[in-house]
Amino acid sequence: MAMRDLVSGAAACGDSSSSSANPLASLANALVGSSSKTQERLKEIPTSTPTDPTSQFYSTALPVNHLPGSEFDKPLLDANSQASEFLHRFRGASGLEETWDEIQRETGVAGPRQLVPAIQQPPLDGTPQRVLSSFLHSFLDSSRGGVPFHPTPLPMLGLSEGDKQCIRDRSSIMARHLFADKSEEFIDAQVNALLCSLDIDSNVRGKGPMPERFRELEDYWNESQGNMRPGPPPAADGWITEFSQHRGKYDNPDSWANSFEQQHGANGWASEFEHSQLSSVGQMQGMNMSNFAAMEQTRMLANTLAQNGDPKFQNSKFLQFVSKMSRGRQHDATDDQWVNEFSKLNVNDWADEFGQQLGEAALGDSTSDSWAQAYDEFLNEQVASKQQLDSSRGVYVFSDLNPYVGHPNPLKEGQDLFRKGLLSEAVLALEAEVLKNPENAEGWRLLGIAHAENDDDQQAIAAMMKAQEADPTNLEVLLALGVSHTNELEQTAALKYLYGWLRHHPKYGTLAPPEISDSLYYADVARLFNEAAEVSPDDADVHIVLGVMYNLSREYDKAIASFERALKLKPQDYSLWNKLGATQANSIQSADAIMAYQQALDLKPNYVRAWANMGISYANQGMYDESIRYYVRALAMNPKAENAWQYLRISLSCASRNDMLEACDSRNLDLLQKEFPLQRDSSTVEVVA
Amino acid sequence: MADSSNLKSDAIMEQMKQHIATDAGKKLTEKIGLVYQFHIAPKKLGFDEVVYTVDLKKGEVTKGPYEGGKPDATFSFKDEDFVKVALGKMNPQIAFMRGAMKIKGSLSAAQKFTPDIFPKPSKL
Repeated sequence: MAMRDLVSGAAACGDSSSSSANPLASLANALVGSSSKTQERLKEIPTSTPTDPTSQFYSTALPVNHLPGSEFDKPLLDANSQASEFLHRFRGASGLEETWDEIQRETGVAGPRQLVPAIQQPPLDGTPQRVLSSFLHSFLDSSRGGVPFHPTPLPMLGLSEGDKQCIRDRSSIMARHLFADKSEEFIDAQVNALLCSLDIDSNVRGKGPMPERFRELEDYWNESQGNMRPGPPPAADGWITEFSQHRGKYDNPDSWANSFEQQHGANGWASEFEHSQLSSVGQMQGMNMSNFAAMEQTRMLANTLAQNGDPKFQNSKFLQFVSKMSRGRQHDATDDQWVNEFSKLNVNDWADEFGQQLGEAALGDSTSDSWAQAYDEFLNEQVASKQQLDSSRGVYVFSDLNPYVGHPNPLKEGQDLFRKGLLSEAVLALEAEVLKNPENAEGWRLLGIAHAENDDDQQAIAAMMKAQEADPTNLEVLLALGVSHTNELEQTAALKYLYGWLRHHPKYGTLAPPEISDSLYYADVARLFNEAAEVSPDDADVHIVLGVMYNLSREYDKAIASFERALKLKPQDYSLWNKLGATQANSIQSADAIMAYQQALDLKPNYVRAWANMGISYANQGMYDESIRYYVRALAMNPKAENAWQYLRISLSCASRNDMLEACDSRNLDLLQKEFPLQRDSSTVEVVA
Repeated sequence: MADSSNLKSDAIMEQMKQHIATDAGKKLTEKIGLVYQFHIAPKKLGFDEVVYTVDLKKGEVTKGPYEGGKPDATFSFKDEDFVKVALGKMNPQIAFMRGAMKIKGSLSAAQKFTPDIFPKPSKL
C-alpha cells in the first residue's frame, strides 16, 4: 500500500502551503525548510499534485530521508530494510535533538554524502506516456500467468534518470510481490526484461529523488492488488482525514491539552489507533511485507522514543520543534500558549512510563514479537468482525460468486439440494431465488432454515426477518426466529417471536390477548403456552415452542420433558432431536446429549449444527481431542460456521495442539481434516486419555 | 425468567454454575485455583452492573461480590463483550487492549482467565 510510496519515494512533497495540510508534512518542512539549500532543491522536485492523500501522507516521510547524514548511495532493496533504515537513521542521528541542532546551524552544509541532482520534469508528452502505460500493463499481465516476460523494442520515451530510477526501483519491488512464489532468478529475469526494454540499466542506481510521475505504474499496481483483495477502498487516507478532523477539534490549545490528558490512559489512544488501523488493514492483508514493515516501523519508533531518556529532549528542543510544527497549523497566535500547555502535560512522566512499559515488553525480542503477533491477530479479528457486522445487524449477506444466479428455477433447485442435505449448495440456490424474487417468503424461510442447520444463526435471523417481512404471520418463520434468538441469548427478541407464533396460530390465537404484546412478561407467555398445551396435548408444535420457552428461562428439566413429549409425536424430526440434545447439553447432561445428537445425525447426516453441538458437548466435558474432530467435521461441511472456528481454536489450545492453531487461523481445512479424521460409525469415540 | 435482569451473560453464568460441579469443572479449579469477580454492565461500563463471583478455588459461581475476602482479579465488561470473550469470539488480551475489559487486582491472576473456562452453550 502506501509503504510503496515510501519505498519508491513518491515525491509528492508539495510546497509548504499544501503540505501543511498534514502535520507530518509540516514537520518535514520544518526540518528541511530550515536549510536553504535543501529547500531550493525541494522546489525543483516536480510537484505533481498528489491526487490521493495516501501517497501524500507517506511521501512526507521522504524528505526526512534527505536529512543530513542520510545515505542515498544504498540501493533501496525492499520495504523492510528501507523502513528500518529510515528509523535507524532517525536514531542514528542520536536523537531528534541533534538532528534539530544540526539543521538549526543553517550552515548550508547539506548532507555531506548525498547530493541530489536536480531533476527537470521531462516534457509530459502524451504519446510516450501511453506507450509506457501499455507496456507496463503488459508486464503486469505477464505476471498473472507467470510467463516469462520478453523484452520488447519500444520507441524512445525520453525518460529522465529520475524516471528510470523510479521505474527500476518500483518494478523490482513490485516484481517481488507479484512473483512471491517464484524464485529470485525468475524475478530478476522478469525485471531485467522490463528494464532492458525501457533502456534502463538495471545495475546503476541513480541518486535522485524519484519524481512523482509514474502514477500509472502505481495505478496498475493498485489494480493488480485490487484483484487479489476484495476489501473496501483505501485505507490510509482514513487516517489522515480522521487526524485532520481531530486537529480541527483541538484547534483550541486548551482543549487539545485536556483531551490529551484524558486520553492519556491507554484506551482512547489505543482505540483510535485501532480504528484507523482497521481501515487500512484491508489493504495490508494483500501485502504482508508492508504489514510487517509498518509494524517494524512502529516498534522501532517506539524504541527510539523510549531510548531517549534525555530530559533535554523533552524539555527544550522537542518543544521548539513542536511549536515550529504547529506554526504551519495556524497556531501562530497561540504558539507559546500551546507550548506551555504541552509542557504542563508532564511529558517526562509520559515518556518514562512509556519507556518502562516498553522495557518490560522488550525483555526479549520474542516478547515483542508476540505482541506484534497479538496485534496482528487483533486486526484480523477486527476485519472479520467488521464483515460480520452487517449480518449481526440483521442484514443478509449474500455470497459473492453464485453459480445459481440465472438458474431457471432456483427455488426448486434449492429445495432439492436441501432435501439431499447439501446445505451450503442449497443456500446458494436459495440466495439466487430471493435475489430473483425478493418477496418470496418460502425462499427466505428455507434459506433461513438452511443457515440454521448450517450453524449460522446470524444469517438465519437475517433471512428469517426477510421471510417475516414477506409473510408476517408464517408460523414456521416465527418459531424459527424465536429459536435463533434463543440461541443468540437474545431473550426479549426470542420471547417476542414466540408470542407472535401463539398469536398468529389459528387454534391458539384466541388465547393470546393482543394488548400484552407490547410489554411481554415471560411468566404471562409461559402461562398462555401451557394453556395451549392443555387445549391440544397432541400438537407436537406446542410442545416444541414450550420447550424453547423453557430454554429461555433455563428451566431445562421442563424443556427436556416438552421436547421428549414432542418427539413421541414426531420421532423423525431431526431438528427436534437436536433441540433435545442441546437442552440436555446446556443443563450439563452431556452424555445424554450426545445420544440425542446421534439420533439427529442418523436422520440427517449433513446436519452441521448437530456436528458442531457434538463438539461442544465433548469440549464441555473436557474431552478436547474428540471435540476437535467434530468441529473439523462440521467445518468441512460448512466452512462459514464462525462459531465452530472459534470453538475449534479453544479446543486446539486446550488439547495442547498449538501446532495446529495456524491451520485453524488460516482455515486450512485439508490439513485439519487429515490431522483430525473422524470415523463416523464409531459414534462413541474411544476416549484417548 | 427467574429474575428481572436480562443479560446474555446470565445464561453463561448459569451454565457455568452447573458446569463447575462436573468433572471438567473440577479440573478447572485444580488448574486455576483463583477467585474471579465479574462486573457486568448491560450497556455502559460501570452502570447498572451485575456482579458475579466465579470462585475457581472452591468451585462455585455466585451472584454478588466475593465474600471470602479480596478476589484475585476483578473484571468489568459490557454484557456483549463478556459473551464475546466467554465464547471465544474475542481474545481477552484484545478485549483489554480495546478497553472492552477492565482489570483490577493481580495481573498474573487475570492472565489465567481464558475463554476455555466457560462452557459453551449448545444450539437448539
